[in-house]
Amino acid sequence: MKKLLSLVLVISMVFSFAACSSGNTEATNSTEPSSSAPAEKAGVPKEELKIGFIHISDPSDMGYTYNHDLGTWAMVEALGLREDQIINKYNIGEDEGCAAAIDELIEAGCQIIFATSFGHGDYMKEAAMAHPEIEFCHATGDLASKAGLSNFHNYFTSIYEARYLAGIAAGMKLKELGETKLGYVAAFECAEVVSGFTAFYLGAKSVLPEATMDVIYTNSWHDPIKEAQVAQTLIDGGCKVISQHSDSTAPATTAEANGVFQVGYNADMISAAPKASLISARSDWSKYLIFAVQCVMEGKPIPTDWCQGLSEGAVYLSPLNTDIAAPGTQEAIDEAAEKIKSGELHVFAGPLSGTGKNWGTEGSIEIKEGEWFEESKEQSAPYWYYIIDGVNVLSY
Amino acid sequence: MTDFFNFIIAAVLAACPLLLGTLGESLAEKSGNLNLGVEGMMFMGGIAGLAGSYYYEKAVAEPVAWVSVMIALVCAFLCASFGALIYSFLTITLRANQNVTGLALTIFGTGFGNFFGEFIGSTAGGYIAVSQVTKAGFNDPLFPALARIPVVGKVLFSYNFMVYLSIILAIWMWYFIKFTQKGLNLMAVGERHEAADAAGINITLYKYLATCIGGGITGLGGLYIVMNSSNGVGGVWVHNCIGGYGWLSVALVIFATWRPSRAMVCALAFGALSVMRFYFPISFIPMAIYEIFPYLATIIVLITVSLRKRRENQPPASLGLPYFREDR
Repeated sequence: MKKLLSLVLVISMVFSFAACSSGNTEATNSTEPSSSAPAEKAGVPKEELKIGFIHISDPSDMGYTYNHDLGTWAMVEALGLREDQIINKYNIGEDEGCAAAIDELIEAGCQIIFATSFGHGDYMKEAAMAHPEIEFCHATGDLASKAGLSNFHNYFTSIYEARYLAGIAAGMKLKELGETKLGYVAAFECAEVVSGFTAFYLGAKSVLPEATMDVIYTNSWHDPIKEAQVAQTLIDGGCKVISQHSDSTAPATTAEANGVFQVGYNADMISAAPKASLISARSDWSKYLIFAVQCVMEGKPIPTDWCQGLSEGAVYLSPLNTDIAAPGTQEAIDEAAEKIKSGELHVFAGPLSGTGKNWGTEGSIEIKEGEWFEESKEQSAPYWYYIIDGVNVLSY
Repeated sequence: MTDFFNFIIAAVLAACPLLLGTLGESLAEKSGNLNLGVEGMMFMGGIAGLAGSYYYEKAVAEPVAWVSVMIALVCAFLCASFGALIYSFLTITLRANQNVTGLALTIFGTGFGNFFGEFIGSTAGGYIAVSQVTKAGFNDPLFPALARIPVVGKVLFSYNFMVYLSIILAIWMWYFIKFTQKGLNLMAVGERHEAADAAGINITLYKYLATCIGGGITGLGGLYIVMNSSNGVGGVWVHNCIGGYGWLSVALVIFATWRPSRAMVCALAFGALSVMRFYFPISFIPMAIYEIFPYLATIIVLITVSLRKRRENQPPASLGLPYFREDR
């Protein structure tokens, strides 16, 4: 009898919990319209400004976070802010810890919060719904245009343009070596990564038509151990120039240890691997940070999506390592850069075809001769995720 | 064939921290102490070794590689032993529950490593990094001349000194447990406390020493991850860098059925499984499946061991139990 009673009690409790939680979601849904309210806000005086940052790792990666952090300090200098107006949250994973970090930044009084990793997006969106008075800017994400919130924004750079140019350096080096195989340490199977390595490959192909490229995914944005293992595998497989979409310098040092060459991402990796690192594709994040913070100071709305590239100086190449680069590399890069800026050269120019996956969503594309694919036009985050001929994905 | 050799080399490099973790944990478990704090001790060893080298380099004008390496090794060993000492005091002297204490040590050590990693980093202006000298000391092949021998040279002699150190440790532990009086005493402590006590063996001393030395060896595994695993990027504190290697080591102890000699083979197998997907990719098998292979192997070993019930493959009989002399 007792057992029966306790069973009934437990079941009733479960139901009451379920009822509560569904009630909650209705409540948040109903607040949604009000959160997308005022477009014009009162400006924030410079002295009162507080700016929060959520980073997936810390500047010790000498890669992505390091580069974004440089942007932060360039912004501080350009706008004449004090150092204590910046609150950095480092090593915030793409999990519940992100929500907690955002809450801490809100409590600290930030008027604008930046998050830099793709997986922070959902937490940023939730926070943006709950706090319409605070601006939320999410790098590399693709949720803002769908969310329809006036205080939730995405930003990215046209890094594929710089990748294309860096690919030229890789292709020239391969040609000089008399080899044809490139390798690529890739993070995840998603548009941001595939767009980057396709641009890199196309750049190399523009100077060495017979080039092919092996790609292996690490399934992590920042994991030096895996990055080193993957780089080693690619080199063992015969790749003579490797590049990367991963946050650390492990591919560069692995390349150096094996006597092959490397093209970096996000940071000048020549100091880490002077005999291997040819050049790096970089973003100048300060361009956006200055713009967005100025908008907050002046009370102006921030666009939902922001993306700038080579012409605006938001992406650039680190200095070429002239000691090891093939002769004529700088000239070839400069020429292509001019053509990209003038609109004469398109990175994703036909004929191109392929199929691929973006976080599991499949799709395919066919671009005819004379046509081209417009990357980062509809939203700031890349949406080219098709694997083209010549690119061999070795391991998922 | 070269593909296969390359695969073996990658497997050995991946196996080294696991082997050190496994050896340390086996030693502790031989004394009847189930120390689940391996992950935490690896964190403590990793950060202490890194900090040791870092401060040494700051203190002298021209750092010498072998001094820096020695300091890192000693700091890593001592700091991880200190973690094991906390555990020993709680479980041996105060007779606290071993599982709970071990888990607490893991949580403590993880926080300890990340806190000091970031604290020293922020005082150093961003992050800690040791110089090229120390990195080379850890990563350069120990026998560069022998490594040039065709075919076998690379497979046998191209590794850094930590790999050989871990192999020597494994052989020493195998010899110690199997052939020395003290090793036999240690086994007796782990198998049946009261019998060992009646034979006049100092149980407390054996348990303390085995757990602390084991902890120190585990800490060297953490140091390997910090200094060697990322192939020369090493010498930088990466947040959460141990990332599960400690738990893999705990699983490996079971996989190796508490034997140092088997630990070498089993660690190599785990290392091979962890890099296999890069070298032998099968397009229709998703990566996630590859990543569960080591754990799958452990489960299979556990099932076969418990089904066959061979006495030499069983865990030490007193594993996880506190010892009360007055208990009946």
